[in-house]
Amino acid sequence: MHELRIATDLAEIVERYASEAGWQVVEKVNLTFGQFIQVVPDLFEAAFREATRGTVAAGAEIDIEIIPAEMRCLGCGAPYIPAGDLHACKSCGSEEIDLIHGKELYIKSIEGG
Amino acid sequence: MKNILDRNQNKAEEVRSLLRRRNVMMVNIISSPGAGKTTLLERTCEALSARMGIGVIEGDVTTDRDAQRLKKYNIPIVAINTEGGCHLDSHSIYRALENFDLDSIRLLFVENVGNLICPSQFDLGEAFKLAVVSTAEGDDKPAKYPMLFSGARAVILNKTDILPYTNFSMDAFLSDMNVINPRIKIFMTSAVHGEGIREWLEWLGQQLEAYNAG
Ligand SMILES: Nc1nc2c(ncn2[C@@H]2O[C@H](COP(=O)(O)OP(=O)(O)O)[C@@H](O)[C@H]2O)c(=O)[nH]1
Ligand SMILES: [Mg+2]
Ligand SMILES: [Zn+2]
Repeated sequence: MHELRIATDLAEIVERYASEAGWQVVEKVNLTFGQFIQVVPDLFEAAFREATRGTVAAGAEIDIEIIPAEMRCLGCGAPYIPAGDLHACKSCGSEEIDLIHGKELYIKSIEGG
Repeated sequence: MKNILDRNQNKAEEVRSLLRRRNVMMVNIISSPGAGKTTLLERTCEALSARMGIGVIEGDVTTDRDAQRLKKYNIPIVAINTEGGCHLDSHSIYRALENFDLDSIRLLFVENVGNLICPSQFDLGEAFKLAVVSTAEGDDKPAKYPMLFSGARAVILNKTDILPYTNFSMDAFLSDMNVINPRIKIFMTSAVHGEGIREWLEWLGQQLEAYNAG
C-alpha cells in the first residue's frame, strides 16, 4: 500500500501550498505517475480522501497521467529495444542503458482559489 | 513539477552523504516475505563478520526472530518497528543510525519489510538496492515488479536447490530481467546449502572496494 504514503505526503504538500496561497478551496490536483510506480488510481484517490478529510483539499479532483516506461542508451540516445540475450545498444554497442521514463512521481499543477 | 516524495528523498540524500563521509556502505535488501533475506545475511555474516565490521538494520520485524538469528555473529543490530507499515523510509533509517558506532562498521545491511512494491519506491540513502527472489515464487517477478528490478544493482535468485520441484522457467526469468534492467548483476544461490554464496561475496567485496575508492 505505497498509495497510502504517497497520498499522505501529497496531502501535506497540497495543504501547505493552499495555505501559503491563502486559498479557501483546492479544486484539482494534476499528477504525473510513471508506469513503474504501479499506483492503483482508485486506491490512491481513496487514500487522498482519507488524508485530506476536513481540510481545504477534501473535495479536490485528482487527475493522474500515467507515463509509459521508456529506456534509452546513454551512449547514443537510441531507444533500447530488448532483443533476446543482447544486453547492449543495437546502434552503438554501449551497455549503459537507463530507464528515462517510468519512475515519475510529480505534481504537475494544483488548482484552487 | 514537484516530486511528491521529496521529503523522503531529501532525508535519503542526507543519509547517503553521512554514510559516504563515514565510509559505510549501506545495502538495502528487498524481497517478498520468506525469499531468504535473513538466511542470506546469516551466510554473509558467517563469512565476513570476523574480518570487517558489519551492522544490520532489521525492518522486517513481526517478531524479533530475525534479530535473534543474527545475534550469534556478534554484530550490532537495530530493529525498526514499522507498526504494520509496508516499507521503511529514510527518516527511520536516519534515526536508527544514531544507535550505531559508525566508525566500527564498514558494511550496513538493511533488511526491508517483506514486500516487492512499496520498499522499491522509497530511497533510504543506500549505496545500492539488492533484490532477492526465490525460485518458489515463480519466474514472473521481474515482469510484475519492474520498479524494484530496474532500481536494483543486483538480484539474488535464491533457493536454486528446489528448482527441480518448481515450474520456474530460467529462460523466462532471464529474458524478462533483460527487458527491465539489462545492467543488473544476477546471482543464483542456495542460501541454506551455500551454492553461489562465494560469487555473491566476491562481488560484494568489489562493490565495497569501489565504494571506498569513490
Ligand atoms: N530450500 C531452501 N530454503 C531456503 C533457502 N534460503 C532460505 N530458505 C528457507 O526459507 C525460509 C525463509 O527464509 P528467511 O531467510 O527467513 O526469509 P526472509 O523472510 O526473506 O528473511 C526459511 O525457512 C529458510 O530456511 C534456500 O536457498 N533453499
Ligand atoms: Mg527475514
Ligand atoms: Zn547506443
